Amino acid sequence: MMVPEGILCSKSHEYLVEGDDGIFTIGLTDYAVEQLGDIVFIELPEVDSEFSKGEVFATVESVKAASEIYMPVGGKIVEINDKLVENPEILNESPFDEGWLVKVESETAHADSGDLLEYEDYRDEIE
Amino acid sequence: MTNIIGGENRKTPLYKKHIDLGAKMVEFGGWEMPVQYSGIIDEHNTVRNFAGLFDVSHMGQVFVSGNDALNFLQKIVPQDISNLSVGKAVYCQLTRDNGGIVDDLIVYNLGDSLYLIIVNAANIEKDFAWFIENSKDLDVLIQNKSSDYSMLALQGQNACKILEKSGFNISDLPKFFSIIKTVLLGKSVFLSRTGYTGEDGFEIILKNDDVSEIWDLLLEYGQEFGIKPIGLGARDTLRLEAALMLYGNDLDDETTPVEAGLSWSIPKSKIDDYNGKVVIKKQLEVGVAKKLIGFVMTERAIPRHGYEIYYKNNKVGIVTSGGYSPTMDKNIGMGYVDTKMGIGVDSDIQIMVRNKLYIAKVIKRPFVQKRYKIS
Repeated sequence: MMVPEGILCSKSHEYLVEGDDGIFTIGLTDYAVEQLGDIVFIELPEVDSEFSKGEVFATVESVKAASEIYMPVGGKIVEINDKLVENPEILNESPFDEGWLVKVESETAHADSGDLLEYEDYRDEIE
Repeated sequence: MTNIIGGENRKTPLYKKHIDLGAKMVEFGGWEMPVQYSGIIDEHNTVRNFAGLFDVSHMGQVFVSGNDALNFLQKIVPQDISNLSVGKAVYCQLTRDNGGIVDDLIVYNLGDSLYLIIVNAANIEKDFAWFIENSKDLDVLIQNKSSDYSMLALQGQNACKILEKSGFNISDLPKFFSIIKTVLLGKSVFLSRTGYTGEDGFEIILKNDDVSEIWDLLLEYGQEFGIKPIGLGARDTLRLEAALMLYGNDLDDETTPVEAGLSWSIPKSKIDDYNGKVVIKKQLEVGVAKKLIGFVMTERAIPRHGYEIYYKNNKVGIVTSGGYSPTMDKNIGMGYVDTKMGIGVDSDIQIMVRNKLYIAKVIKRPFVQKRYKIS
């Protein structure tokens, strides 16, 4: 699996990656989706809704259980990955690419991302 | 998203096999058990379409014998064990005086006043204490052999073919809800035509020392019939589709068999007294305050154990089991509702999911037709 460059991960398994346009993409790490198993339901926030760092912005349900997903940084949702609602299995297949959850505008990203880990450090931390 | 496995959980003799097969392990009823191997949906479909092999060695085996064995069993369950022929099995509830359910079980008549009871893993000690308490003044020997025996479930339409390849004539296999003592691939086993999936299949009760070899051989012989090892995750989705009860979710000490929709299992003709008879008889006559329903979500949301059930925006009950049904590709659940609301098949109810109500429709159970081979 290709891990995007410059990715930052939270200990609660969300990732954050900044695009060239300054918009941040948020998703769930490969480790998280592997642990969840078959994902069968995804609830995403509405576009334009705003969340602070640490707030629940989405819910991902596997066959076994529902898991809340937390904002790794504060910001405003500018785009959601609609495809996941009809095809939640995309998140299992491609967490870093087609399975992204939301895109956000964040003015506080740099201040908020202090506790996020680079991917290698994140893997070391959880294993 | 954390599955913390404590150090004190018990392991079945197949523990290392599960790890080698790449299983994800979880705690269940005090045991460290495989929750999935290839993935819950894949395993679920494998059992529906081909065959699956489950390690259910966590379940308990209690042997009951002695002159009063039948009297003892008659006292502890509402079912009529006096009608249970040698070699037959019956689904039972272990009831208290208030009608509440201590556990649900399968009782087998092994002949010569010897009975086998299969109990739920988490309830082995509780049940055993209850058995002892109810055996005072009776000439009965109750032996908890759970630590000596392992148990496998071979389930699915191809289960028969796999046993045929293992040396059985199809006609010699036990019929539905029957049990035989036999030799399977060189090992002495109890072979029972029962299960927890809604499919045709078998449960194999055998000594701990023999289970590893039989597990390997069944997986090997089953290969051409599409067999896979199946974890507890798919066991739960399979039993939910078949609307089979899970003790601790759908049944508990405060719920009676009548409330749980199990009246079909209680013969009105039973003469002997049993624990809870007064309450259960009355409930059968005048009805119950809460009843079990099955429902399918019409709006997009997954019902889970503990979620609230609403009817016309009033809280009327609670979900006891729920989840995604791979066979139906829909979200389904079961739960208890207040009887006086008049909720029945085709009623629209609502389920509270993360502080929002979502519409569901009450439907007949089971959700997926059972495919037992009855004859």
